[in-house]
Amino acid sequence: MKPLLPILLFALFWSSFVLGQNESCAYTVKGMVLDAVTKAPIPYATVRVEGIEKYATTNEDGAFLITGLCSETNTLIIASLGYSQSRQVHRNEQGSLASFYLTEKITGLDEVTVQAEKNKVIGTETVAQITLNKAEISSNPTQSLAASLSKVEGVTFASTGTNVQLPVIHGLSGNRILILNNGLKHGFQNWGTEHAPEIDINAANNITVIKGAAGVRFGPEALSGVVLVEPNPLVLDNPLYGTAGIGYQTNGRGYNANVEIGQGTEKWSYFANGSYTRIGDRKAPDYNLSNTGKEESAFGLGVRHYLNDWDFKIYYSFIDQDLGLLRASFVESSEALIRAYNADVPDFTDPFTYTVREPNHITQHHLAKAEVDWKYSEEGKLNFRAGVQLNKRREFDVRRNEEFPIIDLDLLTYDYQLEWEHPTWKGIDGSIGVQYFEQNNDNNPGTFNVPFIPNYNASRFSAFIIEKIQFGEDTFEVGLRLDTETNDVRGRDNTQAIFRDRYTFTNFTTSLGYQWQLSGNSSFKTNIGSAFRTPNVAELFSFGRHGSRSIFGLLRSGFNDDGTLNTSQVTLLDESSVELERGYKLTNEFRTYNNNNTHVITTYVNYIDNFIFYRPVGVSRGFTGVNPTFYYDQADALFLGLDYTWKKELTNDLSATYGLSYLWSRNTGQDEPLINIAPISTNLELEWDQGEMWIFDSSKWTLRPSYTFEQFQAPRTVPLEDLVDGSTVITPDSEIFDFLDAPNGYFLLDASWDFKWDRFGGSIAAQNLLNTSYRNYLNEFRYFADEPGINLLFTLNYQF
Amino acid sequence: MKTIELFKNLRLLTLLFAAMAIVSCSDDDDAPDEENLPEVFTNVTLIFTPEGGGTAITAEAEDPDDAGAADLEVLDDITLAANTTYILTYTILNALDPDDVEDIGEEIEGEDDEHQFFFEFTDGAFTSPTGDGNIGEDNAADPINYLDEDSDEQDGSGNPVGLVTRWTTGAAQNGASFRVNLQHQPLVKTATSTSEDGDTDFDLEFVLNIQ
Repeated sequence: MKPLLPILLFALFWSSFVLGQNESCAYTVKGMVLDAVTKAPIPYATVRVEGIEKYATTNEDGAFLITGLCSETNTLIIASLGYSQSRQVHRNEQGSLASFYLTEKITGLDEVTVQAEKNKVIGTETVAQITLNKAEISSNPTQSLAASLSKVEGVTFASTGTNVQLPVIHGLSGNRILILNNGLKHGFQNWGTEHAPEIDINAANNITVIKGAAGVRFGPEALSGVVLVEPNPLVLDNPLYGTAGIGYQTNGRGYNANVEIGQGTEKWSYFANGSYTRIGDRKAPDYNLSNTGKEESAFGLGVRHYLNDWDFKIYYSFIDQDLGLLRASFVESSEALIRAYNADVPDFTDPFTYTVREPNHITQHHLAKAEVDWKYSEEGKLNFRAGVQLNKRREFDVRRNEEFPIIDLDLLTYDYQLEWEHPTWKGIDGSIGVQYFEQNNDNNPGTFNVPFIPNYNASRFSAFIIEKIQFGEDTFEVGLRLDTETNDVRGRDNTQAIFRDRYTFTNFTTSLGYQWQLSGNSSFKTNIGSAFRTPNVAELFSFGRHGSRSIFGLLRSGFNDDGTLNTSQVTLLDESSVELERGYKLTNEFRTYNNNNTHVITTYVNYIDNFIFYRPVGVSRGFTGVNPTFYYDQADALFLGLDYTWKKELTNDLSATYGLSYLWSRNTGQDEPLINIAPISTNLELEWDQGEMWIFDSSKWTLRPSYTFEQFQAPRTVPLEDLVDGSTVITPDSEIFDFLDAPNGYFLLDASWDFKWDRFGGSIAAQNLLNTSYRNYLNEFRYFADEPGINLLFTLNYQF
Repeated sequence: MKTIELFKNLRLLTLLFAAMAIVSCSDDDDAPDEENLPEVFTNVTLIFTPEGGGTAITAEAEDPDDAGAADLEVLDDITLAANTTYILTYTILNALDPDDVEDIGEEIEGEDDEHQFFFEFTDGAFTSPTGDGNIGEDNAADPINYLDEDSDEQDGSGNPVGLVTRWTTGAAQNGASFRVNLQHQPLVKTATSTSEDGDTDFDLEFVLNIQ
């Protein structure tokens, strides 16, 4: 049987690709032509197959397709104005989407590199998604992973102050958004919004956001979306390269330096990178945000060895973070708490400093991974991945023992994944995989506190199958996954007596998707997925003060007969009323391109049965003072939403992009609002790609006004005063409430200028240009202080 | 031939997988260690000892609900004799565990550079100090007879702490007030810091009767 290459879908809504039908000449070359330095697509480049009359021109996204080739190996001649012509041998590998890098003529190097494919992960092709490339990431090296994604429609971030930020996709975050770093589930303390993923974005080659159910491929935590952070792809045949970048930001007087070198030969490739960031106290328009500095250092390396059928890769990365939390968020009495909630200027506002003191989080995260690809036949491939991660987290509170961490945890994560991409069978392509995942969490002694999270060992066996079939240009995709997860938990109750619990859940995850190529200009994708998620240990067993609040897990909170919260009991899971969280998400994406107008409309319905969330219950006194208190609860939640992007090419070099994220949510069981759900936001981005200007080879200007609405669906407000003096009593039947009203809507203006000059690239960006005072509904510290004011950010990169 | 190689390679891969799975299966069964928990204030007793000798007068405040949100609750009035000089000291306890009552006063002494007592009272209740006390942002410099120097409890920077203070009552009156506020001021305490700085450890208002 002659190999018939699968068509790899790829979100080029208007390209009219044709599948080669000739049995004997069924090879295709599909690829992207990119700028070797900026990684930006090069449109209108000519790609010619040497020796025959086959050629193609890249589209606006730099993509091309040549079909009907009779030979497996072809020599391509790639040419584009302003770039050195390149001659490159392309070996036809199944399923490969090659990236061809052209080097600008000014650099005088006639080099081109072929990059391993960067196409969609199998099992997510029918799900709406978007990828940020290296250039977009490196234009703001000091920001967090979550903040870098927040420009994507439907994506925002929830935070605890300026340093701790978690991505939110379609209103959900935490345990419903899976963060995959280098193909491995990021093994960190994923509780609520209090911890940011310990990932160095400067080391990322690209970041993809999948805005729909991708649980079959990645596990039930991926119900609402996935963030894929991918490292350097370890390109072969790539001459020695290096980049060095520096950045400075005015708000917090932050600075960053990062460097990367690498090289690829015929059989080997390696890279090494490192970065360092330090930021001092940020400043809101009217005052300093004391103790909001951070310090972060990271390095990573990777080696690849390529042997025809075998491809070996190993990676290691390390990050060390010291993140300050706003000092004003910590108080010791109910009077001080009421004062803090109502203060115009937060208490403990001190002059600027780089020094981070309590409260702060110090974490180290190690990741090591080995990956083997074995192409055992023309069409079949086996991939094996093994990863180990060690996450060491220490958190310090303002308290009398503040030199000792109040939380001190070691989390060890192992991950093994074996995946078989099977040969095409009756037109069906797909992959079958088995995975084993294990986590071991241990409390280190010496915290002078009842452990917030118990010790636990979690182990999970998983198997999945994903198949897809092409009908012309349409794709049908179906997937099924089985997970069986056992947790063994050992903790201490409020009297320090030991409790133990052990439970096992077996869950199915399913997904069904279809993509229609409606016409040359329009496509429609639809995907429905279900995922049943085992409540995680934090949701079940959280106990006591964490950060600026106290929070109690599903098994650690009950109610007394008089309706008051009782946290002295530990209920075993089997004896409790806790249920699996059952989620169903339908995502539709419609894309159309017409007359310089591109419209992308994503709609979704997400229904979650036994949705686990935390809600305020009052104020309680812990060992270190008085805290607003929350408990975990389950409800039936419905989320309906719309993301809309409209890009209009006004002229050849001027474009406007309008974006809207709309989300409606409700606790349908109780017919009441939910808390901490993303408000509606809208933005406009004007981009002027000026091309050459003065001494600069390229120059691009961006202006981005945006408006975030007040959360009109926020729950009722019960002031702290009424809870402290007992004039409002909260019982389990009370309607959900918040301590303060949702903040007002706000208008922000961002602007930036990006340039390239010879081997230098860089940008000057202004965030919150109007120095607006505002509070973000998704920031846990919205009770205490405003968001940062104006920030000017300067970055400069050098390529050598 | 090719099939054999394939089989060999598959076996290799399976072995690798199995080996790593075994290595990682290090089941441990340990619970977290028992921790020495930090202190809470459950009982604060004011002790007015007449400087000229005699029986000490005490007034207590207690936490009614242990770990609940309620602050300390004042149980007693302070009843002092008129025109008498008293030395005020404290017993500050954590009695959450009745079998292991802790003295928090010692801890405050150990962290005297982070703590200060502030006072507020009915104007004129005392002939020394005069006035109405030093609580409030603008009142920090108002007179209070801190005796920390005499008792070696002044903090390292020479700033007052207030574990020992001297009070001379004025004429008899009933239903006056006496407020004691312990502020925890890590890195905040200076010669000019006030009762508005730092966190409140406790803030108690007693009824003061002078007879």
